[in-house]
Amino acid sequence: MGRKKVIEVLNLTKKFGDFTAVDNVRFDVYEGEIFGFLGPNGAGKTTTINMLITLLKPTSGEAYVAGYNVVKEPYRVRRMIGVVFQDPTIDRYLTGYENMYIHGLIYGLPREKIRNRIDELLKFVDLYEFRDKPVKTYSGGMIRRLEIARSLLHIPKILFLDEPTLGLDPQTRAKIWEYIERLRYEHNVTIFMTTHYMDEAEKLCDRIAIIDHGRIIALDTPENLIKMVGDEVVYVRIDGQPIDIDKLRGINSYIKDVEIRSNQIIFSVSNSSKAIPTILEHLVGLGVDVQEVKYHKPDMGDVFLKLTGRDLRDDEGSWKDMVRTVLRRWR
Amino acid sequence: MEGVGFTKALYAMIYREVIRYRRAYSRMLGSVLNPIIWLIFFGIGWASLFRDNIFRQIFLGLDYITFLAPGIVMMAIFSASFLGGVSMLWDREFGFLKEILVAPSSRSASLIGKSIGIAFTALVQGILILMVTLPLTNNVNLYGILPAIIVSYIVSLGFTSLGMAIASRMNSMEGFHLIVSVVMMPIIFLSGAFYPINGLPDWMTILIYGNPLTYGVDLVRYLLTGVYAVDPMLSLIGTILFTTVFTALSAYLFEKTTI
Repeated sequence: MGRKKVIEVLNLTKKFGDFTAVDNVRFDVYEGEIFGFLGPNGAGKTTTINMLITLLKPTSGEAYVAGYNVVKEPYRVRRMIGVVFQDPTIDRYLTGYENMYIHGLIYGLPREKIRNRIDELLKFVDLYEFRDKPVKTYSGGMIRRLEIARSLLHIPKILFLDEPTLGLDPQTRAKIWEYIERLRYEHNVTIFMTTHYMDEAEKLCDRIAIIDHGRIIALDTPENLIKMVGDEVVYVRIDGQPIDIDKLRGINSYIKDVEIRSNQIIFSVSNSSKAIPTILEHLVGLGVDVQEVKYHKPDMGDVFLKLTGRDLRDDEGSWKDMVRTVLRRWR
Repeated sequence: MEGVGFTKALYAMIYREVIRYRRAYSRMLGSVLNPIIWLIFFGIGWASLFRDNIFRQIFLGLDYITFLAPGIVMMAIFSASFLGGVSMLWDREFGFLKEILVAPSSRSASLIGKSIGIAFTALVQGILILMVTLPLTNNVNLYGILPAIIVSYIVSLGFTSLGMAIASRMNSMEGFHLIVSVVMMPIIFLSGAFYPINGLPDWMTILIYGNPLTYGVDLVRYLLTGVYAVDPMLSLIGTILFTTVFTALSAYLFEKTTI
């Protein structure tokens, strides 16, 4: 590919006592991409991030961020990265502007530059008119937006987002997604994000590493991961009308396989939206009375199910998340 | 090479503490009222019983309120700075600590900046209390006020650092009340703020001389009223020494902090 690696992770492992949180993880992140870590809670996503952002020492293995070793050159790494943590890290008693100003100072930026850039970034996340309000009056979504803006202040090369939409309502999530997508074009950063939302990973990420029990069990583009699970499936209910299966083959090139099971015909297809119209046309031509048509498109959930035998959805909404959501509202 | 912009990080943290203090009116009011309540309800009560001149020799020749006043001021400064330092726990609880830990600036700069800021707010409180107290006292040496303020600031820096050192070893809020009763109360009572420290049982005398606050209280009392139990020069050295040690300790522990 010849693209430049901005994160290089070599057999990274983190143990807490007997428990192995991250187990021999190995991956690269290329410049300009959105790279996602998808997995259930407790899979080791945050532990991996904490090692990459120099807050946690690996038990073994190495990692390079922006070319610097995270253990040996933490201060250099810190200068190159922006981080939005899972839980808020703002000072609630300060205004949005003051929070950003302090950030600028502790990243060693010149004061004049800080002021101009704060205004520009607050406009980017639509918080400009709230700049002088204390953060304790902000909603959860506004706080997240402020943190995204703040993390960009020092022009990082790589942005780490740990569960960027955890605990947010659907509209706010959509809004945050929009900012993340605009980020890499308008601010020219590589993004490393973790999430346990399949839709989020599928929509935003160029490549996804699926992580479970501290191991990467798959790493590819969302399209390829989904292809791995198998084809899309079209179900046509015909309620026991007699039909010759041979007449159903070769209707169009999208159809890969056909079978008839009790009262329905099941087509395995490569593209259901293209296949369905010709299938229906053909069936009508054969004089079949079609009762119902359904189709299923595999998603990241099916990928996870296939890889682990467990449903990622079962792991959503644990009590920890609930507590976190409640706390966040209450703060 | 460790970090960028030492002075900027220092300034950032002072700026933060001062803004936070300015905004928390109720905290400011409470911290000023509490010592004044002590001075009036505790101090005037005993002072009336000790009215007779024969008691003066117990209090090194002073009337009780004048003896107590520097002690109350130092108690207030100590509480504000120590609790301010321990309040780093809130930074951990509410996440702001991570913002500092992941920044490229030197952690010591952030820590010392925070300590300078908190000590400054504690000093402002101390000065406010001193001003309320002065009319109740007799023969306070007005020229001693400025040196007393400087000494108070050094004491304040020391105890802010001690608070932060303790906070960086704690991972939750649970130990907070324990710290308050096991650390704060003995330091206040065994500092000579409320009663003279000569002629006490041996075990108590040992604790008193091992208490860093004793030297600050005695020195400030000397500067304001001219009486002392410990040689003022020794108190000054002790105070500076304790502050230096606590600052170094907190910086060392904070450098190693993880999340």
